[in-house]
Amino acid sequence: MLTRARGVIVVVPAVAWLSIFFLLPLAFILVVSLGSRDELGRIVLDNPSLDNYRRAFNPDYLPTLVTGLRYAALSTIASLLIGYPIAYWISHYGGRHKVLLLLLVMLPFWTSWLIRTYAWMIILRDNGVVNVFLQAIGLTSEPIILLNTDFSVVLGMTYGFLPFAILPIYVSIDRLDHNLVAAARDLYASGRTAFLHVTLPLSMPGIVAASLLTFIPAMGDFVTPDLLGGAQQTTIAKVIQERFLDGRDWPFGSALGFILIAVTLIGTVIALRNVRREMVGE
Amino acid sequence: MTDRRDSSHPEVEAALERYLTEQRITRRDLLERISVLGAAVALAPIVAACSSVGASATPSLAPPPTAPASTAPSATAAPTPTPAPTPIPSPEAELIVYNWLDYIGEDVIPSFEEKYPVKVKYELFEDIEVAYAKLGKDGSGYDISFPTSVDIPRFREAGTILKLEQSLLPNIVNLGAEWANPGYDPGNAYSVPYMWWTTGIAYDTTKIKETLTSSKALWDPKYKGHISIMDDYQESMGLALKQLGFSVNSTDPAQLDAAINLLKQGKSLLRTRSNDTIGTMAGGDVWIGMIWGSDLWQIQAAVKNENHVYYIPEEGSVRGSDTAVIYSGSKHPVAAHLFLNHLLDAHVSASNTNLIGYMGPNEAAKQYIDKSILDDPAVNPTKAILDKLEELLDMPNAVDEEYLSRWQSYTAGG
Repeated sequence: MLTRARGVIVVVPAVAWLSIFFLLPLAFILVVSLGSRDELGRIVLDNPSLDNYRRAFNPDYLPTLVTGLRYAALSTIASLLIGYPIAYWISHYGGRHKVLLLLLVMLPFWTSWLIRTYAWMIILRDNGVVNVFLQAIGLTSEPIILLNTDFSVVLGMTYGFLPFAILPIYVSIDRLDHNLVAAARDLYASGRTAFLHVTLPLSMPGIVAASLLTFIPAMGDFVTPDLLGGAQQTTIAKVIQERFLDGRDWPFGSALGFILIAVTLIGTVIALRNVRREMVGE
Repeated sequence: MTDRRDSSHPEVEAALERYLTEQRITRRDLLERISVLGAAVALAPIVAACSSVGASATPSLAPPPTAPASTAPSATAAPTPTPAPTPIPSPEAELIVYNWLDYIGEDVIPSFEEKYPVKVKYELFEDIEVAYAKLGKDGSGYDISFPTSVDIPRFREAGTILKLEQSLLPNIVNLGAEWANPGYDPGNAYSVPYMWWTTGIAYDTTKIKETLTSSKALWDPKYKGHISIMDDYQESMGLALKQLGFSVNSTDPAQLDAAINLLKQGKSLLRTRSNDTIGTMAGGDVWIGMIWGSDLWQIQAAVKNENHVYYIPEEGSVRGSDTAVIYSGSKHPVAAHLFLNHLLDAHVSASNTNLIGYMGPNEAAKQYIDKSILDDPAVNPTKAILDKLEELLDMPNAVDEEYLSRWQSYTAGG
C-alpha cells in the first residue's frame, strides 16, 4: 500500500503541471471560442454559441490548413531523414566524445531562435551568401529566388526542429542491445539487412517521438512562414495570429485555434495507432 | 481575628502584589510620558503638512466629471475644492514611459529631467499590438505611451486613457492649425499628436529605370517576384480602393469586393507582404514596395546610397499619425502632463523630428528642423499632395470583419 501511495505522490507534480499549464489554457480557449467580442474588443460571454465554429468552417481557410499541414509534414520528414543518420553516427562512432557531440547538437539553442531565422534570410536572399557565391563561381548570372518560397520555409523549419528530432532517436538507438545486431550478423544477415530488420524497428519509439516533437510545433509555427515565406506561403497559424492581434477577434481566433488543435491531435492519434499496429505486427 | 491574607494561595498573593507595585506610576514616569506626548502634539501639524503636499497635487487633478472612473486621483476621497488659479502642482518623483524603438530625440528625456525633479523610466516596444496587450485596460503601471491615432476612439470609449487637463498643456498652441481638431480626437481632449507620416511607394532606381507615378506599378508583370505590399489590411486595401477611385475608409461591400479582386490579380507577382518596410527594401529582394514615407531615409542609411526614391501615388494615399496619451491608471498624472507639455515644446518637437525623421504636428518647431528634412517631399510633402491624402479612421467590428474576412480569403487562396 505504501508503494501505491508513493506511486501516486510521484505522479502528482506532473498531473498538476499538465492541469495548470495544458488543460486550463485549453479550457480557456474553448470557453472564449463560444463567446463574441464587443465594440471595444473585449470578450463577451453572455450568449455562448457555436457561431465562431460555423464561421471557421469557411472553405476560404482550407488552403491555409493544407499549406500548414504540408510544411509540417515536409519538415518532419526532412528532420527524420537528416536526424536519423546523425543520431546513429553519434551513438555508434561517438565513443568517448558522445557527450561533446550531443552538446554540439544542442549548441544552437544558446542563440535566440529568431536571430537564427534572420540569419537564414541573410543567407538566402537575392544578394545573400548563396547567390553571391553562385554568381562568383560563374554557375549563375542572375540571382535565384531562394527566399520567400516553399523551400525557404521548409528549410527554416527543419533547421529549427532538427535537434528535437536527433535527441529522441539517439536515445532509442543508444539503448539497443548490440548483441541483437551481432546475432543477426551471425545468422548470415548483411549489414544492410541487419539494420533494416533489427535496428530500425527497434528504434521506432525514438522515431515516433521525434516525429511528434517536430510535427506538432511545426503546425503551430507562424513565425517561420512569416519571415522566410512570401506572399504565397500563408498558413493557418498565420491566419489565427492575424485574428488575435490585428483583428482583435479573440473568440473567432480561439475557435480556429481549437480546430487546429483538434486536427493535430486526431492526426497524431491516428498516426500513433498505425505505428503501434505495425510494431506489434512485426 | 484571623489574618486576612489567606495563606492557602500564596502564589496568587505574590503575583497580585507584584502586579500592583509594577503598574504603579511613579512621578518620574508621569513626567516622562507627558513630555513625549507634548512633543508629539507639537510635531503633528508639521508631519501632516509634509505628507499633504504630495497628496494635494492629486485632488486638484481629480478628473472632470465626464472622464471615466480612474484609479489614483479619485482615490483621495476628501472633496478638496479644486483651487482656482493653481500654480503648477509639484510633479511626482517618477514617470514611466512606453514608446516605440528609436522614436524619441536624444536630449528629450535629459532636458525634461533637468527641468523637473522627475526620474523617467523609459521602456521600448517594437510591435504596437503587443504593446496594447501589455498596456491593457488602464496602462498596467505605465503612465504614457504612443498609440496610433486610429485607435484613440476605442481607447476613449473604454476608459483606458485619461482626459487631459488642458491648463497643464500651455504648449498646445504650438500645434499647426490642421491639428487643432483631428477627426480621431476632437479638440485633442484625450491625446496630443506626436509624429505623422504618409504611405506611398519606394523603388530602387538601379533596378527600375522608369520614373513611376502611379500605384499601378505594383501590378506591373515586369517586376514579378520583386514587389511587396504591406501586411496591414487597412493600408493595402486602402491602396487598392484609392486606385479604383474610392475612399480608403469605404464601407461599401461592392467597393471592397472590387478592391480585393484587384489585389488578387496582383498576388502572383508579389514577393512578400511585410510591415518591416525598411528590412524588406534594404534587403534587395524587393525592387518596389509600399512603405511609410519617413522610412525612406532609414532605407537609404541601411543601404548606404540614395538609389531608392519615394513617391505618393497620383491616385492618392493615406496619412497617419501617432499620438501621446496618459493612461487612466497612471500614478503620476502631473508628471505625465508636464512630459506631454514638454513634447509639445518647439525645440523638443524639432529634436524628435531631427532624430526620427518624421514630421511633427508642431508649427513652431519648423524653424528648428533640419533643412534636409523640411525639403524632403517624402517626409514633408507639398500642400498639393497633402490634399490628396486621407486619414485612416478606426473601424467598428462589423466593418473590420468586412475588411479582414476579404483580406484573409485573399491571403489564403493559392
